[in-house]
Amino acid sequence: MEKLFISRDSLKKLLDRLARNLNLVAPVKDPEGIIMFGPVADAGQVLLEYQNSTLPPKSFFFPQTERLFKFSYGQEGMALEDMCGSDKRVLFGVHPCDLKSILSLDPVFAGAYKDPYYINKRENSAIIGLACSNPSPGCFCATFGFGPDDGEGSDIMLTPSGKGFDADVLTDKGQEIVASYKDLFEKAGDSPRIAGETRLTVKKLDLTGIKELLDGNFELEYWNQVFEKCLGCGICTYVCPTCHCFDIYDSSKGGCDGERYRSWDSCMFTHFTMMAGGHNPRPSKKERVRNRFMHKLKYHIDRYGLAGCVGCGRCVKSCPVNIDIRRIISDLGEVSRNGQL
Amino acid sequence: MGNCKCDNPYLPYPATIKEVIDETVDVKSFQMVFDDPEVMESFKQQPGQVAQISIFGVGEATISITSSPTRKGILEFSVKKVGQLTAALHDLGPGSRVGVRGPYGNHFPYEIMKGRDLLFVGGGIGLAPLRSLIDFVLAGENRKEFGKVEIIYGARSVDDLCFKYDILDNWPKYDNTDVYVTIDRADMAWQGHVGFVPSYLEEVKPSPLNKYAITCGPPIMIKFVLQALNKMGFQDGQIITTLEMKMKCGIGKCGRCNIGSKFVCLDGPVFTLSQLKELPPEF
Repeated sequence: MEKLFISRDSLKKLLDRLARNLNLVAPVKDPEGIIMFGPVADAGQVLLEYQNSTLPPKSFFFPQTERLFKFSYGQEGMALEDMCGSDKRVLFGVHPCDLKSILSLDPVFAGAYKDPYYINKRENSAIIGLACSNPSPGCFCATFGFGPDDGEGSDIMLTPSGKGFDADVLTDKGQEIVASYKDLFEKAGDSPRIAGETRLTVKKLDLTGIKELLDGNFELEYWNQVFEKCLGCGICTYVCPTCHCFDIYDSSKGGCDGERYRSWDSCMFTHFTMMAGGHNPRPSKKERVRNRFMHKLKYHIDRYGLAGCVGCGRCVKSCPVNIDIRRIISDLGEVSRNGQL
Repeated sequence: MGNCKCDNPYLPYPATIKEVIDETVDVKSFQMVFDDPEVMESFKQQPGQVAQISIFGVGEATISITSSPTRKGILEFSVKKVGQLTAALHDLGPGSRVGVRGPYGNHFPYEIMKGRDLLFVGGGIGLAPLRSLIDFVLAGENRKEFGKVEIIYGARSVDDLCFKYDILDNWPKYDNTDVYVTIDRADMAWQGHVGFVPSYLEEVKPSPLNKYAITCGPPIMIKFVLQALNKMGFQDGQIITTLEMKMKCGIGKCGRCNIGSKFVCLDGPVFTLSQLKELPPEF
């Protein structure tokens, strides 16, 4: 790993050049004041210090709606046109929680059946991470064993230091970017990294005993206290950086031609598991709410060895009835210690 | 866009419906052939696996493959008309173009069944996945690898019995093969047994000795069949069933067919009762 430094001025130049030469995606504030990752033409728009974006950058690998292929009947029979593919892209300014969430999604889309849409975009993207210097009150990334300056998952990790940013070059892709814009980087100095202190301000919840509790107890009286106020709106899954459920459907204006799409779906919706014959294995909010938290705190770990939650706090902020995964974690900890709340 | 040259598991292979058999008033069997003979040759399913059937413009659904892999050159799916895709499929006839991708999921563990007796217990359209294994076991040289075959099958009425040609004609002709058929309600046109499948199973009372029991049917039937088998002395490891869950991708990505940490599309649909008892009771 190479440790470099980039001044604020040089970073601006880097972003300008990346915007010109490649597709640059970075956190920007829209006119309504909402922070989102989006394509950037002017480096001046890019936020170098922000609290987590409303939606995670997940959609640049796994879009909310994605065309899978086109179909048409011709003289030769049925013809399919594969829409898989992507342009080269640099994702700039990704916070450590979102970096970790991408690492949590990777094994879902890999495995015995590789998902070419996701993998192609991952391969064609470089990620420049940015230490989080102002975590929001809802953040609890430290719970999952990392902090606001952890660069794992990025190709280059930037951390505020002195009059600019320390730049840790972590992968070959990162090295390529540095090599193309060598004039902008210098050797790292010895100014202390500012994010070292923010690490201490992030909430760290105790996960001790929770996985074991959930491993042994599918039925927990506790879920009855959680699910009733859920409205089933699905916003938690919509803003979640690790949620990966999707629906597949066709669009056709009649006739023989059309397209197949996939779109984000939500385990909080009744129809998610409702079978055509009418049987629904998760018929009520109780089963659905339990499934979501079991997925985040147990199933994803069982399947991939990775936490299904990265402590970004987005679901905490968005839930209209204040269902708070931080509260659920501390309550489950209490149940595991005392057998009850 | 469209510049990716990788294998894409979401792309169905174009196929054509060759023949449609009316099984019951709401069940039809569709025999399909891939348009590309090389695909037909390389599509190697195992008994109990599923596939995704596409009707372009309508969508896709997961359907078990009812034909045995010993039957070459054709795939057969028996489909009950229950939802949008299955209703659209029922409107199609010979010559209609569809798409098929797969095969997906695990299969009936016929490897460990060799040398054993087999008891099949099916209800309604639940016979469709079992049929892929029954025909596999009965086919040609395979037959002598397995012991006695008993098939207990039931439906609501005579009209609801699927695969009548197999249960009444073909299968009983095989050596060492007994077929027991029942219907739920008495019918003037029916001389055979009347009663629910689980109670008929207890009447027939097959011995659990050196035997695997394989069952599929409506959830309520499966529940009582499993209880009956346990009561008759079948151990959990001797009892095998195949589960239905809503699926979209079929390849473990779309997230909806999970039971606990398992995806039915990848880790199932076939489970022994001992495996099922390890899972949350959510099916």
